[in-house]
Amino acid sequence: MHCEPFEYEKPVSLREFESLYAARADDARILAGGTDLMVLIKEKLLAPRLLIDISDLHELRGISWDPRQGLTIMAGTKIAEIERSTLVKEHAPALAYAAANLGSNQVRWMATMAGNICHASPAAETPPVLLAHDCELIIGRQGGERTLPISRFFLSYRKTALESGEYVKAFRLPPLPARAAVAYRFKGLRRAMEIDMLNIGAYLELCEDGQTVSDVRLAMGSVGPTTYRAAVTEKKLKGMPIGEDFFAAACGGVVQEATPIDDVRASAEYRNRVIGVLTRRALEECLEIIGARRSAA
Amino acid sequence: MKKLVKLEINGENFDVAITPTAYLIDVIRETVGLCGTKKGCGIGDCGACTVLIDGKPTLSCITLAVACTGKAITTIEGLSKGTELHPVQRAFIDKGAVQCGFCTPGMVLSSKALLDENPHPTQDEIKSALAGNLCRCTGYAKIIEAVEYAGQLLSGEVVHEQA
Ligand SMILES: Cc1cc2nc3c(=O)[nH]c(=O)nc-3n(C[C@H](O)[C@H](O)[C@H](O)COP(=O)(O)OP(=O)(O)OC[C@H]3O[C@@H](n4cnc5c(N)ncnc54)[C@H](O)[C@@H]3O)c2cc1C
Ligand code: FES
Ligand code: FES
Repeated sequence: MHCEPFEYEKPVSLREFESLYAARADDARILAGGTDLMVLIKEKLLAPRLLIDISDLHELRGISWDPRQGLTIMAGTKIAEIERSTLVKEHAPALAYAAANLGSNQVRWMATMAGNICHASPAAETPPVLLAHDCELIIGRQGGERTLPISRFFLSYRKTALESGEYVKAFRLPPLPARAAVAYRFKGLRRAMEIDMLNIGAYLELCEDGQTVSDVRLAMGSVGPTTYRAAVTEKKLKGMPIGEDFFAAACGGVVQEATPIDDVRASAEYRNRVIGVLTRRALEECLEIIGARRSAA
Repeated sequence: MKKLVKLEINGENFDVAITPTAYLIDVIRETVGLCGTKKGCGIGDCGACTVLIDGKPTLSCITLAVACTGKAITTIEGLSKGTELHPVQRAFIDKGAVQCGFCTPGMVLSSKALLDENPHPTQDEIKSALAGNLCRCTGYAKIIEAVEYAGQLLSGEVVHEQA
């Protein structure tokens, strides 16, 4: 198959990568797992002049836990490593679950979470969970870094807040409070190897009484140009007692805030019906996790 | 511009002259001449091109060959020892899990990677590990049976009877 010619560089250190990327950001692309990028290049939707392969940079690999800072996942960590990590299963089980449902086993051994968010598809698997966790991104560039809440990362369809020369260096998921949990629900056409027609990440935090909602985050995928939070609904739900009114307000709210379209995977009408159902199930799962933790304590 | 690149395939070193745009599947098949690895869709969907890179199942149709220097690549040709088949290959034949055979090299390598990590997978674990390997012939039932049987062969629970 003919491809537009490109050069290829594999820097051996983070420092070398940062200076190369700073010099060539305009015509270079970062190559991580290549499961999005190489497909786009093969299908001639993209023709970068230089690919900078970061897949062997050990500084960008690994998962660690700190009780104050939370869970840190370096950008180059493979989806398959996130799926299997005992730290992720313990501190962010919904993320391990979402990772296990991304693509195929081969894709998971190749792909990274940074690639997943930088491709910025509204149907992607990990953004709803990362938004539900209110994850902080560590964004690197030559000579510095900055942090950015993931809620400010997705700007529009396939467009992110990364500036020229910047890259995603790490994900930081703050520790969950005692009475809080995150759940992920998705709907696709088949059981495996499908692109979600809908997905949702939910965060629920209860007050000390165990009855009143102290905080909620609802992040919806495939109902708009990016994955985004139902911010108006989230505000309305705060302070409500757990009960049928709460679930009804949550489901009704997300349907109001969703802006789905008809496409090959589902109709807008169908999406509007199902997003409410997924929201309820995700919130019920959060409640179950919180309840189980309380009775174990 | 072609460059000389070192690739380690099935324990053997090859120096190949390739451009940065060459995909691993094409280099394996056309430059090195190992045609066991199959090319189906060419864009990551079917799994026919699966090879193992450092033991992990990888889609060679969306992997650049230049990116693979310093890594151990295993293709289907690397599994048997001479004429002695690998237990996973043996199991696929014994259980009738091969029809046209186009998906088989990828299926066998994905199954080997699974069994290396998890010697006694459940049926659901097998289905999940093979979800990225499409087969248009068998209907999968016999493939799943073969992987279970391969696990038993590998652990020595059952011994293959010579026909
Ligand atoms: C068969 C198949 C099935 C798939 N199924 C799913 C699925 O079910 N769900 C899903 O969400 N996705 C799916 N995908 C898409 C893809 O696998 C994921 O989006 C994956 O996480 C991309 O990661 P990568 O490391 O391969 O990214 P790459 O393809 O290497 O890169 C993707 C983009 O991100 C940029 N990039 C990568 N790393 C960084 C970084 N650290 N900083 C800045 N930019 C960076 C690249 O320049 C590129 O623009 C599938 C793909 C295939 C081929
Ligand atoms: S040929 Fe590589 S996945 Fe189909
Ligand atoms: S045996 Fe023909 S595709 Fe699987």
